[in-house]
Amino acid sequence: MAATASSVAAANGVAKSDAPIREDYVRIDDLTKEYDGFRAVDDVSLSIRKGEIFALLGASGCGKSTLLRCLAGFEKPTYGKIELDGVSIVEQAAYDRPINMMFQSYALFPHMTVEQNIGFGLKMAGLARDRVAARVEEMLTLVQMNRFAKRKPHQLSGGQQQRVALARSLALSPKLLLLDEPMGALDKKLRSQMQLELVGIIERLGVTCVMVTHDQEEAMTMATRIAIMDAGKIRQVGTPDEIYEQPASRFVAQFIGSVNLLEGTIEDDEKDHVTIRSDVLEQPIHVGHGVTGFEGQAVAYALRPEKIKIEKDEPAQPHNKVRGLIEDIAYFGTHSVYHVRLQTGKKLLVHFMNAKRWASERFTWNDTVWLSWGDNAGVVLTS
Amino acid sequence: MNATKPSWFSHSALALGFAFLYLPMLILIIYSFNESRLVTVWSGFSLKWYGELFRDQQMIDAAKVSLQIAFMTACASVVLGTMAAMVMTRFRQFPGKAMFSALMTAPLVMPEVITGLSILLLFVAMGQTFGLFQERGVTTIWIAHVTFCVAFVTVVISSRMSELDRSLEEAAMDLGANRVKVFFLITLPIIAPALASGWLLAFTLSLDDLVISSFVSGPSSTTLPMKVFSSVRMGVSPKINALATLMIAIVSIAAFLGWWLMAREEKQRQRDMQLALQQGG
Repeated sequence: MAATASSVAAANGVAKSDAPIREDYVRIDDLTKEYDGFRAVDDVSLSIRKGEIFALLGASGCGKSTLLRCLAGFEKPTYGKIELDGVSIVEQAAYDRPINMMFQSYALFPHMTVEQNIGFGLKMAGLARDRVAARVEEMLTLVQMNRFAKRKPHQLSGGQQQRVALARSLALSPKLLLLDEPMGALDKKLRSQMQLELVGIIERLGVTCVMVTHDQEEAMTMATRIAIMDAGKIRQVGTPDEIYEQPASRFVAQFIGSVNLLEGTIEDDEKDHVTIRSDVLEQPIHVGHGVTGFEGQAVAYALRPEKIKIEKDEPAQPHNKVRGLIEDIAYFGTHSVYHVRLQTGKKLLVHFMNAKRWASERFTWNDTVWLSWGDNAGVVLTS
Repeated sequence: MNATKPSWFSHSALALGFAFLYLPMLILIIYSFNESRLVTVWSGFSLKWYGELFRDQQMIDAAKVSLQIAFMTACASVVLGTMAAMVMTRFRQFPGKAMFSALMTAPLVMPEVITGLSILLLFVAMGQTFGLFQERGVTTIWIAHVTFCVAFVTVVISSRMSELDRSLEEAAMDLGANRVKVFFLITLPIIAPALASGWLLAFTLSLDDLVISSFVSGPSSTTLPMKVFSSVRMGVSPKINALATLMIAIVSIAAFLGWWLMAREEKQRQRDMQLALQQGG
């Protein structure tokens, strides 16, 4: 399954061009940032490919913003190396780095017009007046803001401000673009529209991009690859589908989406299948592939709610089925979430797509239902 | 808590409060138009004391000295205050930073008599050892005024700077501006209103200072408050009422103008934001 996931990602991700892709366009080695003995970023190593959109995803306080600020040059790492396109940049000041950032608050200069904001970096670079004007015009066209060139930032709506901020950070053609919570200041409806627009512009220019977000939907929509951060450390790096379908640990499985974690031990470890004995199920879990573990090892079986089938009648399959009682129902329109209590007392979450109108009326509170899943529906987690 | 209707008590408390604050000024203004030489007896409307005031060359000279000192003090205080505010809000933690901030703002609570006396002693000591400031006058008053005005200006500017979004300066640096350019192209224009109010504050503080000026002035440098104070000691002349009325008028007009300009800008801003919201996307 993991193999399928990564090949899908490669197909619709960065592997479009024929040129060889630099695996370590941005290279972070053993980066640590300490504040008064507190490690905000703890020994992080990462490689980011040229042209990809890389998301740092984590809860607030996980160190993702500090890592971004180290890249931008606003924080000096306690130790560690950062290389961009083969050049070490740790010793460079923020204003010397070929890196530009779009701030969460956009940080548009309030006393300058849209034009002056976009042209600021070009002017600092010492470009002649007519070349600045031409580049500003080009950027305005890119973000479709030509009509607003003479306005001040406070005369723009949130979405327009974001476009100006993007244009300003792209005007200098940076080698690396940083996005700090790019949708943080927008309301929900505008968000999904701007996410796709932003990705469209970034991909058209082919600029390499590192973004920070706490919103997993945003990371999954926009990013080619995601790094999950927690307590200053990287927990897992992968494409959105890898992270979702093949989480490396209990933490990642629970952090992304919702999951049923069934704790148990490996009972029977064969080459082509494994059975896991869990206290919460009467029947052992049958896994249709081998795992790297040993008999008697404590593991967790991570089962996503949408991978479980809910039925009135007992399914025909011999393994991986259990009976329970519907205790709670949450109706979301597109799907319903059933909280099913098993006889052992364990509660499982089950998603049911409402593919037909009024489909949700099939099950109601206190119904006895059968839950079942396939041999490959879940992931065996050892950490 | 429910909002209650204002009672007779709150109405009369308000009236008394305003009367306490503004009745003396009102009386002063009324008597500036008095015909009589006696300050407390009304004998008819006249503008003659305004005429007398402008014929009093000593008074005019004192006003000129005061305005000159106030202008120089305001300028110097804003420059020094901005530098101090930069250190307080933008410098990394350094040993003695808290001490620096406390010492910068201490003159706010220092009794003026002590400030004035200590500065005078400093000038005398410097005169004896280096031969500086042996002639006290406009320069010494200017230096003394700057030392206490800087504290006020620093407070005004540093409070504005600490609420300024740091990411604006970071964005400028990110776009290739070094620290000096960031300060002059981004920070300074944005905090300009605070600089202006700090300048005005220092100007007024310097203009009406009596105690410190009295300590450090010399024979050729009588400021307006000193002149007023000494002439009142000889007996209050309605001329002083006229002078005070003029000063109240100038201050009121300046304050009103400032309020009106700010209100107009705010209104325009609100309208712009409404417009931007309606256009959306």
